[in-house]
Amino acid sequence: MKQALDLAVSSLLLGGFYAAMAYGLGLIYGVLRVVNLTHGGVIMAGAYLTWVLFTELGIDPYMSIPIILVVFFFFGVAMYWGLVRFLPRGAAGGVQSLLLLFGLWLLMRNVAYLLFKGDTRSIQTSYATKSVNLLGTSVPVTRIAVFLIAVVVLIALHFLLTHTFTGKAIRAVAQNPDSCTLAGIDVERIYMLAFGMGTALAGLGGLFVATIFAFNPETGAVELLKSFVVVVLGGLGSVLGIAAGALVLAVAESFSILFMPSFLTAAVGFVLLVVVLVFRPGGLFGEKVLR
Amino acid sequence: MDTGNRRTVFLLAFLAALLVAAACAPTEEQGQSAGDAEIPDEVLIGATLPLTGEEADVGGYFKEGYELAFEQINDAGGLQLGDQKVPVKLQLLDDTTNQQTAANLGQKLVDDGASALLGTYSTDLVQAQSTVAEQNQIPYVNGGGAATAIYQRGYEWIFGALAPIQSLAISQMKWIDIHQDKGQLPKPAEIAVIWENTSHGEDYLAGIQKFAEQSGGDYKVVMDESFELDTKDYSAILGKVEAEDVDFFMADAHLPDFLTMHRQYIARGLCHDIRTYGARGSEQDAIEVIGQENVTYILSAVWWNDLLVENQPKVNEDFIRLFKQKYGRVPEWYGALSYDTARALFTAMENAGSVDPEAVREALASLEMESVVPFGTLSFPEETGYQADYAFLVQQNTPSGSSPIIYPNELATGPGIPKNPNC
Repeated sequence: MKQALDLAVSSLLLGGFYAAMAYGLGLIYGVLRVVNLTHGGVIMAGAYLTWVLFTELGIDPYMSIPIILVVFFFFGVAMYWGLVRFLPRGAAGGVQSLLLLFGLWLLMRNVAYLLFKGDTRSIQTSYATKSVNLLGTSVPVTRIAVFLIAVVVLIALHFLLTHTFTGKAIRAVAQNPDSCTLAGIDVERIYMLAFGMGTALAGLGGLFVATIFAFNPETGAVELLKSFVVVVLGGLGSVLGIAAGALVLAVAESFSILFMPSFLTAAVGFVLLVVVLVFRPGGLFGEKVLR
Repeated sequence: MDTGNRRTVFLLAFLAALLVAAACAPTEEQGQSAGDAEIPDEVLIGATLPLTGEEADVGGYFKEGYELAFEQINDAGGLQLGDQKVPVKLQLLDDTTNQQTAANLGQKLVDDGASALLGTYSTDLVQAQSTVAEQNQIPYVNGGGAATAIYQRGYEWIFGALAPIQSLAISQMKWIDIHQDKGQLPKPAEIAVIWENTSHGEDYLAGIQKFAEQSGGDYKVVMDESFELDTKDYSAILGKVEAEDVDFFMADAHLPDFLTMHRQYIARGLCHDIRTYGARGSEQDAIEVIGQENVTYILSAVWWNDLLVENQPKVNEDFIRLFKQKYGRVPEWYGALSYDTARALFTAMENAGSVDPEAVREALASLEMESVVPFGTLSFPEETGYQADYAFLVQQNTPSGSSPIIYPNELATGPGIPKNPNC
């Protein structure tokens, strides 16, 4: 019972982390129909920027959230204007965008090697190894912080998409960009905004990675794969679905240790992915459009 | 057949015979006498290391050891092959911590004319790359693969300078056993073994299990869980460890996984009488990434420690001095073992008096070299599949930041603290 409770708490916190990593990927796919393979690279870059801000300027990782969001929003905007807007979208542009964005990820990784070498880094704050007792389980405070911020981001994102004009425009463009053009919505601007927001959220995911794990320039590959699984489980383009998908993945991975060797944990998510794609191609909480 | 046709046929036959003869004839290089061919103007030795990727940190340490050994031998005029001094060149490539790349680059180095190969780092890469050396029948000496599986394949060209991981686990258990007998540790003791899902990890688990089975019930492995390399989240595994309420936490992990796992171990508030990550724990990286206070009392067992110089100055004194001169800091075991790996190959070539692969292989098989390793002699016994087998140095991190050798007693430089006082 104690172990089940422990695993339940771990799952919840891990789910929050997975969701925070996947929001950006889901948002960009939902609006632009582009699978953003630089997502992993941006997560890695977010981790390094957080580390630089902490080690060079002494800024606490959680205090640097606004900086990370702003920097990566503009990085995303620049990436959109410089590269992504020239790509065909949807199924027609699949190969080109995959190759371009994958190439960009490799470039980012190599720049990180040049700047930081391959050394493993981590952020050692005064609270990095502190824990609190939650339902009889010791839980690292960084995990709780990440979970709470992930919930706040989910609420904010949901509010933005459902209660603001820009959010409604984003959802409208996600549903039918041609009609939006006829209705006077600047579709290119919305695309740029969505790409910037998605990249900023990936950068935030990187900040979370830096506060919980050790990282190096290779970081991002596992995170991208997990994000992809979460987005597919939740239903491509559904923000609330992403949160639910993240929780499902975290629960499946965490509880699998009761039934199988833990080295197979990573495979659990992919088995789940295949099953969902076969039986519910729209995802467990599938919505074809962002809502 | 008329005369013209017959002449044409003879002409073609003659040309064909000429071509066949030309193809079969020795080339100028091949035609040289064996002695000439075996002593080139410069000896090329190939190596790959994980200079990027997951094991880039360790790859960098290995590179330092290799380069120091090459610099040292060339400063002395080169390899003594017969009555000639021949400079030796290292061609070092980055295998990006990737098995396939390590194997492909190994083949490229052979194709480029390397007389022998120095191995890469980590068991899985060495395992893949050493097959290339075996196929090409070229000596392959490595200081980066310790799993016995590498040496139990019946290969004749692979030589390993790292003693087996099973011995590492057994060395740790022997030290623990001394203190259990003194009543300083619980008896019987329950152990959780967390091991990476590689032959390296399997060896570690096997070593502890073997010791526990032979202990007559003094030790019980109540939990063993394996994990994939580069796992990010250990909360489920650590939760299980917590639930089992064991006395000893014994893990086997490579550096990146150790850093990630131990950070989460600390954050979870876990504490055990004995905690170890196999060979990891004393690295400077660990102190920087996790903090000095969080790595204190970690037990580790390594192939080398700079404090060894206190009780075994031979070779070590020179090595540490040269390393400090070149890199401005004290070496870790990675640098020491890679340095000695290169030296073992040089010594074998000098003993063989040539770079002829078969002669070098035989010289390696019969090598007995003064070395930096514990008790001072490096050899590659045939009965272990040409894997060196020597005592491990058990060491323990202290609050002051040092990691004295605490076992074997003859080489110990400080006392160990058997029961983690922080728990």
